[in-house]
Amino acid sequence: MKHTAIVIFAILLVSGFCMLLFLTSGYHGARGSADNPYLAAGAAETGAVNLVTGIYLNYRLYDSLFELLVFSIAVLGVRFYLNADESQKPSVVRIAESPVVRIAADLLFGPIVMIGLYLIVFGHLSPGGGFSGGAVGGTGLLLCAAALGAEVVARRFHEQIIEQIEWGILLVILLFAIVPVLFGYTPLSDLLPPGRLGTLLSGGTIPIYNVLIGIKVFIGTWVVIYSFIHHRGEI
Amino acid sequence: MTAGTVLLLLLPVLAIFSLSQRRRLSAVIGMGLLSLVFAATYLFSHAPDVAITETAIGAALVTFTYVLAIRKTGRLVLVCDEAPRLVSREGGKIVGLEEEILAGFARELGLDLVVRIVPRDDVSAVLGRGEADIGGGGIIGEVRDKAELATVGFLPSALYRVSGGRMSDVKHRTEEEYFEDTLEAIRERRPVSATLDLARFLAASRLNLSGYTVERVEGEFSYCFLVSPDQPELLSQLNAYLERLTKSNEMERLIGRYMS
Repeated sequence: MKHTAIVIFAILLVSGFCMLLFLTSGYHGARGSADNPYLAAGAAETGAVNLVTGIYLNYRLYDSLFELLVFSIAVLGVRFYLNADESQKPSVVRIAESPVVRIAADLLFGPIVMIGLYLIVFGHLSPGGGFSGGAVGGTGLLLCAAALGAEVVARRFHEQIIEQIEWGILLVILLFAIVPVLFGYTPLSDLLPPGRLGTLLSGGTIPIYNVLIGIKVFIGTWVVIYSFIHHRGEI
Repeated sequence: MTAGTVLLLLLPVLAIFSLSQRRRLSAVIGMGLLSLVFAATYLFSHAPDVAITETAIGAALVTFTYVLAIRKTGRLVLVCDEAPRLVSREGGKIVGLEEEILAGFARELGLDLVVRIVPRDDVSAVLGRGEADIGGGGIIGEVRDKAELATVGFLPSALYRVSGGRMSDVKHRTEEEYFEDTLEAIRERRPVSATLDLARFLAASRLNLSGYTVERVEGEFSYCFLVSPDQPELLSQLNAYLERLTKSNEMERLIGRYMS
């Protein structure tokens, strides 16, 4: 009886979400209107079809840099406090995972990372961007860690190297932001041409920032997850 | 009524659903659903970027992290050896008086009961290492270790000492670990030396006990649970729960069901 109720509930849930997908399939994002100056001028000025990305990686890039800095400090804090007491660290124990999780992880890991990459690279054209794309990829890694064991995943990511990459990317972003000064412009200004609206290589520096932020968030999410797992001793 | 309105109405319903759940897993699943509906609401409010992030973080990452955390903390681990009628395996399920009492107790705490079967002598060691919360399976209040905390007795019992067998086999006597092994030894007429509580003795006496010496141990005994020494507050909670069961005659009903 209880079992039947759960199955019926699950079927209702899945069909509900299918209906939601169906209802929203014809949806193409916010349409610009002439009386909204942001919507009218944004695409032309930034070269990004997705105006949200256009705003936070062009008009308000200064704010986004600090947002990135906050994220970096959060990751640093997790690393620092969870790795502080090495003596009490338990060894990571591998729990035999149920076949359901293992098979689901095998099937889902590729698509999840693919979606993450898509969200990062196409961030200026469709909904997405470095922050959400990186988080999606990090979630995929967590799924992998749950199925295969955290140490297996950690061995593929050499801790020292990814740490250097993470901080290196922050440095590159900050340097990249002050490059315009060398050419006599204000920092953070976009020197690259906006390109043809709607193509992959458009939007000036926005795709570059998206990729850099995406890699950074991806690594940062994994570092936080791995610190938690390592500190607790098991996943 | 548009789809957006339906989603907005669903939000408080799901929020109340997650808040009202006793089981933590159900609450977390409710929160994941809430997060998904939030994402859909953002989509209808023309904020697809926020919807994607909400789905990735709220529905996936947070739910997943909670589920992992619950796997470790959301359970009440009972460690015991099998004792007929108290805790025993029957067709892939674990049933018995102690199981039912503790399942009710776990439900009250919002935890899931997990039963681990170990040799009877290992019960206190496992409790001492903090790998389990409660020890059971016919624990007699008198013979408890000082390291653990024992609850009040919930059912009177007795102790029987069973020993004997063909003495020529003394060398082959194996160490009985599980109660199953003791039963096996009696069935094969091997020498046995064990102190059995009432529930186990009744099960053993169904076999042919002739040739073994059986003596009743003097004294008043009753069954109780052991609680991990790290969790004194769990002891008082369990004691209060047992007392409530006794007062409401629920205990009598349970005992009648399993012991008669």
